[in-house]
Amino acid sequence: MINIDSLELSYGDDGFRLSIPHLKINDAEKVAIIGPSGSGKTSLLKLISGILLPQKGEVSIAGVTVNQLSDAGRRDYRITNIGFIFQDFELLDYLNVQDNILHPFRITQALKIDAQVRSRAKDLAEELGIANKMKRLTDTLSQGEKQRTAICRAMMTSPKLILADEATGNLDPSNKTKILDTLFRTTDKNNATLIAVTHDHELLDRFDRVIDFKQYCDLGAK
Amino acid sequence: MIDSLYLAWRYIVFNRVKTVTLVLCISLVSFLPFALKILLNESEHQLMSRASTTPLLLGSKGNSLDLVMNSLYFSKEKPEFISMKAIEKILDSYLALPIPLYTRFQAREYPIVGTSLDYFEFRKHSISSGRAFAMLGECVIGADVAASLNLDIGDSILSSPENLFDLAGVYPLKMTITGILDKTNSVDDKAVFVDLKTTWVIQGLGHGHQDVKTMSEPGAVLSRSDNLVTASAKIKQYTEINLDNLESFHFHGDSSIYPLTAIIAVPNDQKSATILRGRYLTEQKNHQIVRPKQVIEDLLSNIFQIKEFIDAVVFIVAIAMVLAIFLVFSLSFRLRQKEISTILHLGCSRFTVIQLIVAEIMIIVLFSGALCYAALLVLQYFQGEIVHQLFIS
Amino acid sequence: MNRSSTRFARKAVLFSSLLLALSNTNAEQATSLNIYTVNYPLKFFAENIAGEHANVTLPMPADIDPAFWAPKAEEVSGLQKADMILLNGANYAKWLPKVSLPLFKLVNTSSEFRDAYIPLSEGVTHNHGAGGKHAHTGTAFTTWLDLSLAEKQAKAVFKALSRKKPNLNAEFVKKFIPLQASLLAMDSELAEIGEALQGQALVGSHPVYQYLKKRYQLNIQSVHWEPEEAPTAEQWAGLKTMLETHPAKWMVWEGKPAAETVAALEELGIKSIVFSPVSNAPEVGDFLTIMQENIAALKAIPTAQ
Repeated sequence: MINIDSLELSYGDDGFRLSIPHLKINDAEKVAIIGPSGSGKTSLLKLISGILLPQKGEVSIAGVTVNQLSDAGRRDYRITNIGFIFQDFELLDYLNVQDNILHPFRITQALKIDAQVRSRAKDLAEELGIANKMKRLTDTLSQGEKQRTAICRAMMTSPKLILADEATGNLDPSNKTKILDTLFRTTDKNNATLIAVTHDHELLDRFDRVIDFKQYCDLGAK
Repeated sequence: MIDSLYLAWRYIVFNRVKTVTLVLCISLVSFLPFALKILLNESEHQLMSRASTTPLLLGSKGNSLDLVMNSLYFSKEKPEFISMKAIEKILDSYLALPIPLYTRFQAREYPIVGTSLDYFEFRKHSISSGRAFAMLGECVIGADVAASLNLDIGDSILSSPENLFDLAGVYPLKMTITGILDKTNSVDDKAVFVDLKTTWVIQGLGHGHQDVKTMSEPGAVLSRSDNLVTASAKIKQYTEINLDNLESFHFHGDSSIYPLTAIIAVPNDQKSATILRGRYLTEQKNHQIVRPKQVIEDLLSNIFQIKEFIDAVVFIVAIAMVLAIFLVFSLSFRLRQKEISTILHLGCSRFTVIQLIVAEIMIIVLFSGALCYAALLVLQYFQGEIVHQLFIS
Repeated sequence: MNRSSTRFARKAVLFSSLLLALSNTNAEQATSLNIYTVNYPLKFFAENIAGEHANVTLPMPADIDPAFWAPKAEEVSGLQKADMILLNGANYAKWLPKVSLPLFKLVNTSSEFRDAYIPLSEGVTHNHGAGGKHAHTGTAFTTWLDLSLAEKQAKAVFKALSRKKPNLNAEFVKKFIPLQASLLAMDSELAEIGEALQGQALVGSHPVYQYLKKRYQLNIQSVHWEPEEAPTAEQWAGLKTMLETHPAKWMVWEGKPAAETVAALEELGIKSIVFSPVSNAPEVGDFLTIMQENIAALKAIPTAQ
């Protein structure tokens, strides 16, 4: 369960301010965040994952107050408990699919690659239909395959929370639906909470809850 | 660290053009000063080792460096000739023992060194197979000559004509190989040694031909009387010396005026050396006597002055190269900002990011170092040959 | 250290010194010089002067003229290993320009009297090509038949040995002095004989007596006869032509002539004596004894009254 209380965040020279008095997201809930550009939707994801620290308030995930952890603590928590999916996929073009999936395990001391990890990567790839592309570099993949690789990467640590920032933003309509199906399937399988920032309104009815972020932000002086 | 090295390795392999370019640049800049040092050390060693073991060198008055380079290293610059009279003069003085040298000719790009057997004892050379030359027309070849031309005892080697268009000039002489020298790691490995008299045969001062007294071939004898036979140019002159025609070989004229290019004088002691040098400094107008060590030391001091200048230039180039490489890495880092931002989002620490970049630099530097080292090893292996070709020949 | 130990130490030092001296002497003796010569006279001189300190070799067979020896490569290799090679000079060894010998080891025993060499005007000249005429004539080479030059050559051998083994100089001197005296005595004797002969015409069997002729004022002209071969009709005719202007009564042979030739010469009124140049090793006797025989033979020629 994610709990946000009395959260305030302001940044930028133009006086942007984000203020969330209270927000609660339940376990295994699929929540879509919508709102105008610059309304702080991505900032919310960063606040939840501990990348950004609020000036005031608390962010807790499953009882862990993330914003009170140390830098190292937040990093370790983030990499072991949260899976990220980005609009531009954010895959590394110099690594093949397998290495991209295993990438989180190579950039932190908190995770180690062993036979079990490799086996999980293989299983995830099979599940998402990219097992035959494991040795290929990512620039040879289609958009859908790239995003599925990103989903595999995000799911490697069996996270309880998936944060997807415009995960379908760069996909064509048929791929959008497929990727969302894949995303929902894998989060259901892991019993994970999904918070997805999206501009695709035709997909909103698939979510459990839609939060309009307009209510939380003050865009400041124009 | 292993994971950082792995990621760095994958990045480097993916960007192989950039990587190879960087590696080559760093290798080259690292290689140059060491290579220069190796070559100069080797040239100093080669030049000095021969020069310091050669006490005195006598030759025609003129450029002493040419005299030393031709006599000790068989360079292509030929000094003016002196005559055998100079040998007799030294022998009669009892001050030194003379070793004649006549290095005018070549056999297939290798110098033919006409000398006496004392040369081998003087240079402390031994024969690995066969024996020293004993008869006119025989030769002993250096180890490298034997290897590169695939020659063995009993084979022959032909002297090269001096001038393809001078039909009346020096004839090629077929010389029989009787011995191959042990490897000496000096210019002697690339030389063909013959008795001095054999070089005079090559020059035409001595020759062998059919017996004029008994020749009956039409047109070969122009006139004949009791004590004078005039033969025509049809007379067959032998182009090789063997057991069958050795007896017919003879020399014409006064051998004391036969030519040499130089004489190595081995004085009995320091006092004899001083006296001998004094005589040539005061009495001789046409000859000079030099101490090869002195001549080479002067040459090396000039070379090392140039080396210091080159070192300075290389240093400046190295600084420029380092700045350029720094720029390349900085630009690369800037291009990878998005990647770095992503991995920071995922949970990577800044320390790990630094580790990734350091790993990349380390791999490139290691490769460059290895390439530079390998190139230096190759250079060291061929340093003798390179120095000989570049500086001595 | 007590007295007995001191005595023992002294004895040990003395004994070691003696051993060292002995071994040095043995080493000296063991390394006797390996000398080669180009003719017998030089061999004789070297053996006489060096004695046990040298092994002297005349490498050519006893039955050939050493000047015209044609060595094989293996024989030259043996020469190359010598410590010293004694040359006669005056272009004696015709084979020398065709072989390779270490210059350091060569000793030209007549280098000090090069100006006394006698050029030969006989022999066939030939020319070919642009080089002009040239003759295979050269230089007379039996220098030792002039005993004053022989003495100089012996001295050159002595000097060469002394330079090589300066520590044995005293020994060499002891041996050289009597040899020198013998050679000079024979020189005086021959001078007397030459004077007594007063230019009496003589015929030499071979042109080898140039130095004998010059030194001792002998009126000798030579033919090209071999002692063991019967002269041809042409050779007899040549002799007779020579006798017309050079009425010799004695022929000086370089070796014992054939009896038939001697008889035929006697019919012409020419008697024969042997004056051996002793270029090669004699079967009997040595250089001095042979030269004494030569002198005796020459002395036997009746002088003009």
